[in-house]
Amino acid sequence: MWDSRGKVAIAGVGFSELTREASGPLGLRAMDACRNAAADAGVPLDQIDGLATYPEAPFRGAGHREGIDVVTVDYMLRHLDLAPEIRWYAQTEQGMVLSAVIEAINAVAAGACNYALVWRALHRPMGIYGSLGGTVSGPAEFTMPYGFGASFQNHSFSYQRYMSKFGAKREHMATMVVNQRANANKNPHAYFHDRKMTRDDYMNARMIADPLCLFDCDVPVEGAVAVLLTSAERARDLKNPPAYVAGYGQNTDRRPALPVYTLVNYMKSGRSIMNQIWERSGLSNKDVDVAEMYDGFAPSTFYWLESAGFCGEGEAFQFVQDGRIEIGGELPLNTNGGALSEGRLHSMGHLAEAVYQISGRAGERQVKDCNVALVTAGSPMLRGSGMLLTSEP
Amino acid sequence: MPSSKPTPKPTELTAPFWDAAREHRLVIQRCTACGYYNHPPVPLCDDCSSPDLAFTEVSGKGTVYTYSLMHQKNIQGFEEDIPYMTALVELDEQPNLLLMTNLPGAKPDEIKIGQPVEVEFQQFTDDIVLPQFRLANGA
Repeated sequence: MWDSRGKVAIAGVGFSELTREASGPLGLRAMDACRNAAADAGVPLDQIDGLATYPEAPFRGAGHREGIDVVTVDYMLRHLDLAPEIRWYAQTEQGMVLSAVIEAINAVAAGACNYALVWRALHRPMGIYGSLGGTVSGPAEFTMPYGFGASFQNHSFSYQRYMSKFGAKREHMATMVVNQRANANKNPHAYFHDRKMTRDDYMNARMIADPLCLFDCDVPVEGAVAVLLTSAERARDLKNPPAYVAGYGQNTDRRPALPVYTLVNYMKSGRSIMNQIWERSGLSNKDVDVAEMYDGFAPSTFYWLESAGFCGEGEAFQFVQDGRIEIGGELPLNTNGGALSEGRLHSMGHLAEAVYQISGRAGERQVKDCNVALVTAGSPMLRGSGMLLTSEP
Repeated sequence: MPSSKPTPKPTELTAPFWDAAREHRLVIQRCTACGYYNHPPVPLCDDCSSPDLAFTEVSGKGTVYTYSLMHQKNIQGFEEDIPYMTALVELDEQPNLLLMTNLPGAKPDEIKIGQPVEVEFQQFTDDIVLPQFRLANGA
């Protein structure tokens, strides 16, 4: 069991507006999310003495304009009226934002700062998301001339193998994706809050990279989410019930030489992360009341379900049937709508939802007697991570 | 004959691959210490970290590892080709030794994981010849 189990809590969550297009600099949205997270916890900004983010845009050829494409620690230092003395900061270069959250957990546990604010701001550029061309050198010499380079193409490759190996069909995935949309329809933060989806909508969706269709891909949005972390002692005196961190896990499998991640990498990475979470928390998959499992591309959630042992390898497509993953089912899954229907927030939406569920603030989406929430980020490969939140330390 | 598609600009590390492709030979970088095939070429062997690496001609035979019909206009120069096939081939020489291909001539419906393929060569620009793979006859 982990020494710091239950000693750190997430005390506040903040969203900015999520829209399809930018309206004004991304930095303003990030500041909105941060202010909202602090206010949600009831902590004045000038008490916040720790900062962390993972700033990078998620595609090849993305821009790095401060406050427009990315929002760094430096930006937040300039623009928010934080504690006069910032005692701890981290800006992760790898992984998704849960890596920055894990840094913050350790910092708070070590007493490096009292309150750590972690945000993720995502810019959605105009036009095609990552148009690739020109002359290429290095590993891309062996992929791009064949018309291969977008991240969803990696996922289509793995999903094709998954389907072929285990007999999964698009009809199976439809159940999960449509269920997530129904959840998003109950989530006021969700980009698709007001838009319904039927099985036919899913089955008739245009293909992106067969077998991945449009609705298997998360919806890119402009916006930000932030969380505020503090010690369990401090969290108990704040506005909302704390979500205690029972354990976390991180892994990056050794990349194959060709820039393509395979099903094997995904599963190996996912299992390692989940084993760490169970070992640190002393809990098991049987204790989980709600699972918020990353769905940047829908098949990733299958790999996570299997990695976590909710079902055997190659069984997730059947596991998600028969109402099992609905709110009120055996394992409510991606109750916020996931990245597919809430918006591409790189797992911060998943984390925020887990906190809402644990603190009993999920409104219409609230899972009954929700005491243990699992959150994961990543494909599971590509620097995956995850954590387990509990209502009791 | 330039291409509007992404075009390899070989480096010192990758040039032997492209030089051989121009002669319609498929070569893969192989570790002289442990025999492991590395693709794309690397400065140190992925398996044993030895710097002693040399390009070796391979059979050009393999099987379809996975495939996907691409519908999205993310890659410049492919706008007119959409939808187009992309696939990974696992060479017979070594498990997980994967090469990209468009499986020219194959109908999407007839492609299956595990099907045998053979290398062929496609003139891409004046300077670049692209190894491709074709479904083997009688497959």
